Amino acid sequence: MSIEFRNNVQVRGRGERAMMFAHGFGCDQNMWRFVAPAFESDFSTVLFDHVGAGRSDLTAYDRQRYSKLSGYADDVVEIGQALGLKGAVFVGHSVSAMIGVLAAVKDPTLFESLILVAPSPRYIDDGDYFGGFSAQQIEELLSFLEENHMGWSAQMAPAIMGNPERPELGEELTNSFCRTDPAIAKEFARVTFLSDNRADLARVKARTLILQCSEDIIAGQQVGAYVQRNIPNSKMVVLKATGHCPNLSAPDEVVAAIRDFV
Amino acid sequence: MNNHPADSDFEDLYENAPCGYLSVRPDGKIDRANRTLAGWMGYQPDDLPGMRLSDLLNMAGRIFLETHVAPLLRMQGFFDEFALDLLTKTGTRLPAIANARERRTDADALLFTRLTIMRATDRRRYERGLIDARKESDELKTALEERLRQERENAELREQFIAVLGHDLRNPLASIAAGARLMPKAKTPEDALRLEAMMQSSVGRMAKMIESVMDLARGRLGGGISLSKSITAIEPVLDQVVAELAAAHPDRSIQTMFEVETPVFCDPARIAQLCSNLLGNAISHGAPDRPVRVEATAKTETFELSVANAGEAIPEEARKRLFQPFYRGEAHGPSQGLGLGLYIAAEIAKAHGGSIELDSSERETKFILRMPLEGDGSLRPHSAP
Repeated sequence: MSIEFRNNVQVRGRGERAMMFAHGFGCDQNMWRFVAPAFESDFSTVLFDHVGAGRSDLTAYDRQRYSKLSGYADDVVEIGQALGLKGAVFVGHSVSAMIGVLAAVKDPTLFESLILVAPSPRYIDDGDYFGGFSAQQIEELLSFLEENHMGWSAQMAPAIMGNPERPELGEELTNSFCRTDPAIAKEFARVTFLSDNRADLARVKARTLILQCSEDIIAGQQVGAYVQRNIPNSKMVVLKATGHCPNLSAPDEVVAAIRDFV
Repeated sequence: MNNHPADSDFEDLYENAPCGYLSVRPDGKIDRANRTLAGWMGYQPDDLPGMRLSDLLNMAGRIFLETHVAPLLRMQGFFDEFALDLLTKTGTRLPAIANARERRTDADALLFTRLTIMRATDRRRYERGLIDARKESDELKTALEERLRQERENAELREQFIAVLGHDLRNPLASIAAGARLMPKAKTPEDALRLEAMMQSSVGRMAKMIESVMDLARGRLGGGISLSKSITAIEPVLDQVVAELAAAHPDRSIQTMFEVETPVFCDPARIAQLCSNLLGNAISHGAPDRPVRVEATAKTETFELSVANAGEAIPEEARKRLFQPFYRGEAHGPSQGLGLGLYIAAEIAKAHGGSIELDSSERETKFILRMPLEGDGSLRPHSAP
C-alpha cells in the first residue's frame, strides 16, 4: 500500500519548491481549501489527510503507532521522503503545527521553513506554564466529543471503510467535509489534547513563523508567545482574525502572512 | 366554517416557539435570542444580545465549536444535529441538541449564524447511557476474547498432555511388561537382578514423567509451582545434581565453578530440579566431545546459575518456543523427555522471583538463572552474628 494512498496525498501547482499543508484535529485537508490554491502558481502544494480523517485509508490505522503525535510525524516524514522533498515549506494548523515540529526534528532536510498556525505545545496548564486548560476540562472535552461522534459511527464508517476505492459513496452524508472516523477521532483527540511537546521546540533548526490569532480560546496569545520564545529562529505574527481557524475565517490574511515569510 | 385565527403572528412564533432560536454575529456576539431560550436559560430576553455565544458554553463546548462546528459552517454553510451543553445563568447545565445555519449576503459575506436549539435532557442522558453501555460491552468483548484465547490454549495443552501421556508412558510401561514376562523364565539370580534393575529404571522414568506432568498441571492449570523455601547452602545441592548426572553419563565431562558463599533463600529440591533439567539438556544437546560448564555465583543481591554447552546455536525460530510446554527440539529420539524440562525450570525460576535467560551463539549455548538471593523477600535470612 502506498503512502500516497494511505494519506490521500494530493499534489498540485507548478512551483519548483514544495509547500506541504497539514490539517488539525476535527477536519481534513479541506481546511486549506481557501489557502492552498493561492500558492499553486509559485509552489507545488502537497495536501494530505491524517490517517483516520478525510479520505485516508482507515485500515492503515494502527493504535500503537498513532498513540503519540510522533506516529503522525512519522507519516509526514514518510510523505516528504516519498515525494523527495528537500528544503520545502511546511504549513501546519493546530495540532499539526506540533506534528510539523516533530517531523522537522526527525528529518531536518525536509523543511527549510515551518509555518505554525495556532500552535500549542501543551494544552493543559502545568506549574508556571499556561496552556489554557485544566486537566479536568480536557477530560470533559474528551467525553463530550464522544457524544457528538456517536451518530456518525453507524453512518459513515461502513460506507467509507467498505468501499475505499469508491469514496463517492460517502458523499451523500450530512457532513461531506471534515469526515473523521469516530473511533479514531476519539483517540486523536486524546493524543492531541494530552500531548506535551514543549521540549521539542528548542530542537527545531528550520526558520519558523508562528501565526497567532487575536482571540483563540484553544491556543491563546500566551501560548503562541511561548512557542516563539522556545523555537530558536522564529517570529510571531498576530493576525486580526479571531477564533482557532484563520485558514477558514480569514484566508486572505493567512495567505498574505505566509507569502511575506517565504 | 372555521373561526379559529391562523397562526400568522411570526413575531410570536419566533419568540414563543417550542425551541430556542439564537442568532450570532460574525464576531461571535449574540444578536438575538428568543424568549423560549432565554426562559430555559434563566435570563430575561434582553440579557442575551451582546453576550458571546462562548459565554453560554462550557469549555468542552467552546472547543467543539472551534474545531468542528465553525470549520464546517464555513465550508458547507450548515451543521446539523450536534450535542451542546448550555450554561444557564445559575451555572447549571442545559443539555441540548442544535442545528446551525449560516445566513450570507448575495456577495457571500457572513451576516449571521442561526442556531435552533432543542432542550434534550432525557435524550442526551439516554445517549450517554448508550455510549457507556457500548463501552462496557466492548470491554466485556475484550475480556471474553482473552478468556477464549486462554481456554483454547488450555485445550491445546490438554490435548498435547493426553497425546504425550499415551505415547511416552507406553515405552517404559512396555519395557516393564516385558520384564515381568521374562522374570519367571530367568535362569540365574543374576539374570533376575538385571531384569529387576531394568524394570526399576523404567519405573523411575515413568515416575519422573508423571512428576513433570504434575508440575505442568500445577504451573499451568493451577496457581504456579509451590515452594517450600528455606535458607540454603546451595553448593552441596548443586554438587549432588552434578554427581548424579556425571554418574549417568560417565563419558561426558562436566566442569563446575561454584562461588556461592552466602546462603540462598530458596526451595533446594526445586533448584536441584532446575539445575538437573538444564544440565540434562546441555548433555543431550551439546557437542559430545566438549565439556559442559556449570557455574554458580552470588553477587550482592542476586544468585546466578549458568549451564553452558558447546555445539550449534539454537535457531531463532526455536528460541521463542523453547520454554513452552511439550516443546522438543528437532532431533528427538526415543530417550528424550516430555519437552517439559525447560518449561518447568522457567516456572521454578519464576516462583523464586527470578528468570531464565538464553544466550546462544555458534560458540556456546548458555542458560542463565538469575534470582534474588532472598527470594521474594517475604522472609529474610538471619544475618550472621
